[in-house]
Amino acid sequence: MSDKKAINSAMVVGGGVAGMQAALDIANQGYKVYLVEKSPTIGGRMAQLDKTFPTLDCSACILTPRLSEVSRHPNIELLAYADLEEVTGTVGDFLVTVIKRSRYVDEEKCAACGDCTEVCPVEVPNEFDRGLGIRKAIYTPFPQATPNIYTIDMENCIRCKRCVSECQRDAIDLEMQDERLEFRVGAIVIATGYEMFDVSRYPRLGYARIPDVIDALEYERLINAAGPTQGHLIRLSDGKIPKSIGFIQCVGARDVAKGVPYCSRVCCMYGIKNAVMAKEHYPDAEVNIYYADIRAFGKGFEEFYEMARTRFGVNFFRGRVAEVTRTQEGRLAVKVEDTLSAKPMEIEHDLVVLSPGIVPPQDLLRLSEKLGVSVRNDGYIDVSHHYFGPVDTRIPGVFVCGCADGPKDIPDSVTAGSAAAMKATIILSHGGQSS
Amino acid sequence: MTEASQKIDTAEKREPRIGVFVCHCGHNIAGVVDVEEVSEKAKSLPGVVFSTHEMFMCADAGQQLIKDKIDELKLNRVVVASCSPRMHEPTFRRVCESAGLNRYLFEQVNLREHVSWCHMRQPEAATEKAWDLVRMAVARARQLDELPIKQVDVTPRTLVVGGGIAGLRAALDIADRGFEAVLVEKEPELGGHVRKWTHLFPADESGAQVISPLIRHVERHKLIDVMTNSKVAEFGGYIGNFDVKIENLKTHKTKTVQVGTVVVATGFRPFEPEGYYAYEQSENIVTLAQLQELPPRAELRRPSDGRIVKKLAFIGCVGSREPGKKGHEHCSRHCCSAVAQASADLKDRVDEVLILYQDIRTYGRGHEELHRLALSKHVIYSKFPREEKPTVHVDDDGNIKVTWTDVLTGDQLEFEPELLVLATAMIPPDDVAETANLFSLTRSGDGFFNPEHIKLAPLTTHTAGVMIAGAAQAAKNASESVIDASGAAAKAVGLMARGKVEIESTVSHVIPELCSACHTCITCCPYGAIAMDEEHDPPVAYVTEAKCHGCGTCAAACPSNAIIMYHSTDNQIMAMIEAYLCPTDMEQQGGN
Repeated sequence: MSDKKAINSAMVVGGGVAGMQAALDIANQGYKVYLVEKSPTIGGRMAQLDKTFPTLDCSACILTPRLSEVSRHPNIELLAYADLEEVTGTVGDFLVTVIKRSRYVDEEKCAACGDCTEVCPVEVPNEFDRGLGIRKAIYTPFPQATPNIYTIDMENCIRCKRCVSECQRDAIDLEMQDERLEFRVGAIVIATGYEMFDVSRYPRLGYARIPDVIDALEYERLINAAGPTQGHLIRLSDGKIPKSIGFIQCVGARDVAKGVPYCSRVCCMYGIKNAVMAKEHYPDAEVNIYYADIRAFGKGFEEFYEMARTRFGVNFFRGRVAEVTRTQEGRLAVKVEDTLSAKPMEIEHDLVVLSPGIVPPQDLLRLSEKLGVSVRNDGYIDVSHHYFGPVDTRIPGVFVCGCADGPKDIPDSVTAGSAAAMKATIILSHGGQSS
Repeated sequence: MTEASQKIDTAEKREPRIGVFVCHCGHNIAGVVDVEEVSEKAKSLPGVVFSTHEMFMCADAGQQLIKDKIDELKLNRVVVASCSPRMHEPTFRRVCESAGLNRYLFEQVNLREHVSWCHMRQPEAATEKAWDLVRMAVARARQLDELPIKQVDVTPRTLVVGGGIAGLRAALDIADRGFEAVLVEKEPELGGHVRKWTHLFPADESGAQVISPLIRHVERHKLIDVMTNSKVAEFGGYIGNFDVKIENLKTHKTKTVQVGTVVVATGFRPFEPEGYYAYEQSENIVTLAQLQELPPRAELRRPSDGRIVKKLAFIGCVGSREPGKKGHEHCSRHCCSAVAQASADLKDRVDEVLILYQDIRTYGRGHEELHRLALSKHVIYSKFPREEKPTVHVDDDGNIKVTWTDVLTGDQLEFEPELLVLATAMIPPDDVAETANLFSLTRSGDGFFNPEHIKLAPLTTHTAGVMIAGAAQAAKNASESVIDASGAAAKAVGLMARGKVEIESTVSHVIPELCSACHTCITCCPYGAIAMDEEHDPPVAYVTEAKCHGCGTCAAACPSNAIIMYHSTDNQIMAMIEAYLCPTDMEQQGGN
C-alpha cells in the first residue's frame, strides 16, 4: 500500500478471556492492539459464570483484574460496542474499518455514577442474566463492566429524556451517531468465542415448555451473588428451595442429528461444578447428574470429579435422558435408563438443569467471509495444521484462538490466546513476513 | 545489580492520614458481615480520616473513589477491606500509585475468604472478626513505610529445557521473533517421543513427518544454540538474569550461559505398567507407546514370534484415574483419542479389535470423528466397571485371555487377543524432582509442574521468569503441546521485549552492624538468596533481593535480630497484635 513502513499494530476481534489474553501478550511486547468487542463490555462469557472448575475460584474475582489490566494498558485501544465492517489488504498491512455503535452516552464524560439508570422508567429483561433479571434501557451489563460506561439500548428507550436531565455531566446525547473508524494493522487475531446451544431444540427435555427446567447459564446466574436472586438457588416458578436437582449432560453435543457431532469439552466439568455448587448451597439436597461419558481430561479435572462423587455426594447416572415431564404435584420426572444397571428409571426432581453444548456464534460465518478465512463443516474456523499451525488460519497474518476454532475450556483458551499473540508478533517484528 | 539495599528512613514519616474502604463484594461479604457497622466504627480509629463502604471496590467506580479521596483528603495510607490480597492487591496498589501514593502504603484486609465465606452461618461473630481485622490493619497502616520500586534488566536470551515437540516449537518461535534461544536436550537426538511414533492423531501423519521439519528449522536457525546430550547442571540468579551451567553428558564439559527467561518443556514418560494386566508375563502385552513405536509394515505382527495378529485388544486407563493412588489419580487425556485412532487404523489389518474402557474421552477437534470411524469399522467398544477392572491371564503356551464384565449387558465376557495393548498413563519423567528443585517449581498431585494459576496463568510459574509448556504442565497431546509452546514463548518474549522488569521490595535485609556471621540465615533460606559478603570487614550476610521471596524464614531464625523484613517489620506486626488485644481507647493512649 501507500508507504512501506512496518505497521506496529494488531487487531484482536473479541474481548473474552482468549481475546484479552492475546491482546495483553501482544501489547506487552510493545505493539499497539485494537481490541474490538461487539458488546458494551469486555469479559465475554466468563463474566457470566459464577464459579469455575476445578478450583471453584469465583469467576468474577479472577476475571476482574484481567479486565482492568486490559483497560489501563497503554498499548491497548479498547473499541467496545463496535462491529468489524471491512478488512482489506494482506499480511503485514491490513486496512480495517470498524463501526463503533453509538452508546448515546459520551464515553469521555460518563463517570458510571448510575444516576441515569435510577430515573430510567423502562425495565427490560437483562440478557447478561439470561433474561432472569431486569435492567433499565440505560444500563451497564454488570458492575465490573469494562469500560464502565452506560449504554442506551435504543430499541427499548422511550426517549423520555429523564436520564438526559438527571446526568450531572451532560454525558447523554440521544442524537449521537455511530462512528466509522479506519486503521491499519499488520496482523489479526480472531477470538469471537461461542454461543450456548439452544436447548429448546430438544422439546422432549421440556425447556421453555415446563417451568423449572433451566439451562446451565441460567443456573450460573441463579447461584451468583450478583445475579437476579442474589445467589439464592430457588425454583423460578414458586420461589421454593429445590430439595432435589437433576443435571442433564450433553444437550446439544455429540449429536449428529442436531448438527453438533462434536464434544463441547466443557459441559462435563461445568456440570459437575454446578452439581457441587448445588451441594454447597443445600448439603442435604439430592443432586444427580445424567451423563453419557464423564470427560474429566484436564489438569485437576479427574480429581475434581472424584471429589464431587465422594466428598460432596453427587450421584452420577450414565444414560441419555429420554424425557422430562411434569408430574401432577408440579415436580419434574426424568425418564432415563441407567445403563450401568440396565434399569429404566423415573426420578423426580424439583429443578432440572440442562447442560448445553456450545456452538459457533451466529455471525461467525459473516465475519469469516470478511476476513476470507475458511470455516469447517461444524461451523468453527479452520486452522491450517494441527501441528504446524494450530492457531493459524489459512490466510497469512490472521490467527485464531479460544472457542472461535472449536470448544475449549478457560485454560486452553488462555493458552491459545498467548500462542496466537506469539504468531502475530512474529509477523509484526518482521514487518509483515512470517519469519 | 541495582539493589544497593536501600534503608528507608522511618523517622520522617508523615502524620498518617488513613482512608478505609469496606467492600460489599456484592452479596459475598455484605451478606454476612455488617459492612456499614464496620466502616462506621473505623472512623473512630486513630489516624483514620475517612471511612466508607462500597458495592465493588475492584470495579472502576470503587477504584475511582479511592483515587478521588486520596486527592481530596490527602490520604497517605489506604486500607481496603475486601477479598484476598492474592486477588486484588495488585489492583489496589496500582490505584494508589496512579494517585501518587507509594504502593507499599496500601494495606488489604481479607473479609471474604477469611471472614464471610468461612463464617457464613455466624453473621454477628463474623462482623466482630471483621472489625478486629480492620482495626489491626489500620494499626499496621500507621506503621507502613514507603519502599522503592525497583527494576532489573532482562537478558534477551531464553533457555529452553527439553527438545521434544514443545521445546522445539518454543525455541523456534522465540528465535523467529528475533531473540536468542539455547535449547538443551539430554538425549543425543532432538524430537522427543513424537519422533518415534508412527501415528499421530487426529491428522494422519507419522511423528517423523511432523517433527523432522521442526528439527531442520531449529538446527538451521542462527539464533538457536542446540545442545544435545546435555543437561542443566546448575541454575541460579533471578528473573531477567539467570546463570545457567550446562553440562555435556558425554564429555562432561560445562558451559555457562546467561539467560533472561526459561521455558521448561521436559515432557512426560509413558508409565511402565508393572503389576498391571500380566504386563511382564508376555511380550505380546505392550503399552500404547510401544505399539506406536513398532516399525510400520503392511500387517500387524506380534513381538514374540512375528506371527500376524488377527485379534487385537486395548485396555484403557492403565495407571490413570486411580483414586487414592499418588501420581496416578489424573486422567492422561491423550489416550482415548490415540486408542480410537490406532484401533481404526489397525482394524484394516486385523480381524477383530476390542477396546475396554471406562469412559470415552474423545473431546478434541476431530477426536469424536475418530471414535465414530472406529465404530463404523466395527471396532468393539466395551465398558468395564470402575470397581472391577478386567483380568488378564497368560497360559503356559503364552496365550492371552482377557476376562471382564461388560457394563451395558452385565455379562461376563472373554477375549483371547494375540496382541494386548495397554493405554498407560502419562507420568512425569524420572528426573522431575531434580528439575523442580533446579528451577524452584512446585508440583501438583499428578506429579507435573504447577502453573502460576490453573485457569488464567497456565504457562507461567511461581518462579518469575520461568515458563512451562507441553506435557511438563500436565498430560496432553502433541498438538496441545505445540500451542502451549507458542504461548510460553509469548510470555518469555513479553519479558525480553520490554527489556526491564519490576521486582518486589518486600524482601529481607541484613543490618551489617548486628550480623554475627553465624550463617544461620544462609542455611535456612529456601531460595538461596543469602550469601556471605566476604569483602565486608568483618564478613556479614547479605541478601540478593531479586532472589528473595520475602518469606521471612531468615528473620525468624536470626539469633541476633539482625534481619529486617521490609513491609513486615517487627513494629508493624506488634502494632497489629496490640490493636487486636487492646480496646480502642487504651490503644489510643498506650499505642503509637
